Amino acid sequence: MIAAMQPIYLDNAATTPLLPEVLEAMRPALEQHFGNPSSRHPPGVRARELVDQARRSVARALDAPEARVVFTSGGTEANDLAVLGLARASGRRHVLVGATEHPCVRQAAAQLAREGFEVETLRLDAGGALDLDDLAERLRPDTALCAVMLANNELGSVYPLRHVARLVHARSPGARVHTDAVQALGKLDLSMRELGVDSLAISAHKVHGPKGSGALLLAEDAPLQPLLPGGGQEGGLRSGTENVAGIVGLGRAAELAERAVAAFRERAAACRAALERGLAEIPGARLLEPGASSEPVLPMIAAALLPGAPAEVWMHHLEARGIYASAGSACQAGKNEVSPALLAAGLRPDEARSVLRFSTSRETAVADVERAVEALLEVAQTLESVAP
Amino acid sequence: MSSAQAVAPDAVLVRYGELSLKGGNRRHFENALVRNVRSACREIAEARVERVWGRLAVFPERRVESVARRLQQVFGITSVSPARTVPSELEAIVSAAGAALEEALGDWPPEARIPFAVRTRRADKTFPLTSTEVDAHVAEQVARDPRLTVNLSHPELTLGIDLRRERTYVFARRLPGPGGLPVGTLGRVVCLLSGGIDSPVAAWMAMKRGASVHYVTFHSYPYIGEPSKKKVVDLVRVLARWQPASSLTVVPFAKIQETIRDHAPAPYRTVLYRRMMQRIAGRIARDRRAGAVVTGESLGQVASQTLENLTCIGAASELPVLRPLIAFDKEETIALARRIGTYEVSILPEPDCCTVFQPERPVIRGRLEECLRAEERYDAAGLADRAAGAAEQVEVA
Repeated sequence: MIAAMQPIYLDNAATTPLLPEVLEAMRPALEQHFGNPSSRHPPGVRARELVDQARRSVARALDAPEARVVFTSGGTEANDLAVLGLARASGRRHVLVGATEHPCVRQAAAQLAREGFEVETLRLDAGGALDLDDLAERLRPDTALCAVMLANNELGSVYPLRHVARLVHARSPGARVHTDAVQALGKLDLSMRELGVDSLAISAHKVHGPKGSGALLLAEDAPLQPLLPGGGQEGGLRSGTENVAGIVGLGRAAELAERAVAAFRERAAACRAALERGLAEIPGARLLEPGASSEPVLPMIAAALLPGAPAEVWMHHLEARGIYASAGSACQAGKNEVSPALLAAGLRPDEARSVLRFSTSRETAVADVERAVEALLEVAQTLESVAP
Repeated sequence: MSSAQAVAPDAVLVRYGELSLKGGNRRHFENALVRNVRSACREIAEARVERVWGRLAVFPERRVESVARRLQQVFGITSVSPARTVPSELEAIVSAAGAALEEALGDWPPEARIPFAVRTRRADKTFPLTSTEVDAHVAEQVARDPRLTVNLSHPELTLGIDLRRERTYVFARRLPGPGGLPVGTLGRVVCLLSGGIDSPVAAWMAMKRGASVHYVTFHSYPYIGEPSKKKVVDLVRVLARWQPASSLTVVPFAKIQETIRDHAPAPYRTVLYRRMMQRIAGRIARDRRAGAVVTGESLGQVASQTLENLTCIGAASELPVLRPLIAFDKEETIALARRIGTYEVSILPEPDCCTVFQPERPVIRGRLEECLRAEERYDAAGLADRAAGAAEQVEVA
């Protein structure tokens, strides 16, 4: 048993620990610059400067227009604001959403359907990749919005948003393309301008920033209807006194994440390979392929199909050995629902319940994964011996 | 330079205009342009810059599209093209041309009719085909889209092929640059910046003609507050996109305005404020080795900007006063401010120092002897020295 050792956290797609550098950047905003950024005296102006600086950091890190960064309470609010706000501001009635979207996007789309929008879900092809032909066929002159996540939180698949944006804009001029980039930030070289999307959502706590802080990035010309009536902060798009410390934390975390992308990808690929080697020794276990696509995948997210027992059982056996992974994404954990992303990727429902997700961070070493592999082998033997 | 790279542009071709006319100074101008291009790219991506036949080729490590757009804000550049580089072999060129064309066609609506041409420049005379033959071959191979109609005299979509011995550049888009001359090639000026619409545009025009600009603003604290100063810093930050580095001198001005209020006839206050600004600007210019003072004044735009008043103001300056907006209508200035990006900041409702103790009836036709007489009642030179000495420096990246 290795439970006495330092636990190994392999659920970084759910959330990541706050980096000391991010905490240091936030400290002055918590301890010193308590002013309201809307106040016109020096404490207010200092707080405003901190918010402005974070806005520049975020815009620069994501290669996006600075003036159109809207700070929110996190990824969910950023996605909700985009899906509801872009559709409602469009004057159009048709909305397309990806097949494996995060619940916030699916639920926002469901809200639009209740308001009378016609909402359609896009198809994946047999390999689990986005079916661009299906998208092309569904586009209409009154399409308001097409929302497709950039990277999937369960499989690590990356969707071809650059192609989606070109296709949507060419076939249905005036339609907007939103992408949920919460999982992609820090794991891909991200450029909002190169993607050509109209809006993009990010969250701080997935990249070693604080929880409760995220942003919606908008293209220069994308009109948006705000969700919260109020004092008109964030250019009128997100009322409420700014979460200055959270915003500063997001700015710093995004900056650090963006700089570390190449090194992180390399390290994560090595971790993934170590896990794959380990699983090869467990009969019936394998890593799921993130979907046939020309796009680079996220090696940081590895979904393992495990034999013999539901993923939940594996999870608790591993956790007893100090290894933390996740059965289903945190947003679905505890619910009985089977992941639509895994079903869309071609798994049977019983298989989908046997998928355990391992997700690494910039701080995860190959040695950590090797220890997780040892634990996996132990658990495999335990489960085998209790099996009927 | 593999075919995989041809999928997306991997370089930016940079064209420049007037520089090539500058004879003996050409080298100097090109060096400045290369420096400014490097500096503009820095915040986006590492980039290698090569000089090729009176153009520059910029190779960013990533974010090629953003680098291209960023270079649209570098003076001296007439146009840029995101380009695919391939080995100078017909097959590779055709493949890159197809990809470039497909990308460019994405910007056109489905029913468009697009007059189209291929233009090859062949510097590599050992290449087996002539440029006309390359044009014809490539057009035949890639122009399959039914929207394209060949039109050699007035194409709206031109596929460019620059055929060099070392490599070939293929591109289908040409983004306009700002023109002008590289910042830093024609000396330095000091620009008086208020929070208004005009002065940032005047600064931009000085940069456009190759001057590097040092900014000076006057802060009448505590008659006006920190948000006004921040607004000027924000304006400098927008303008900083157009020159490699920017700094701002914030001059305390309240004491001077109080003195003028107490000792000079009320109608002359605005003109006398401005004469003090010129004096202080002259001192800062001397320290910064600047050759002129730039202002946003325009003839007749406000009551204080009559020929007589401008004469009174200019007479206080030891340096030439340049007024790039002198003949501009307000609408013309606003249009430029929008393009530069300063307009949205300028219209924020913050007071500036000119509003402090503003007289009800400012003089319209000021007379220099009246100004001089008023200034006998206070130590204009001493006040200017002290204000310049007490100024705060702000560096803006």
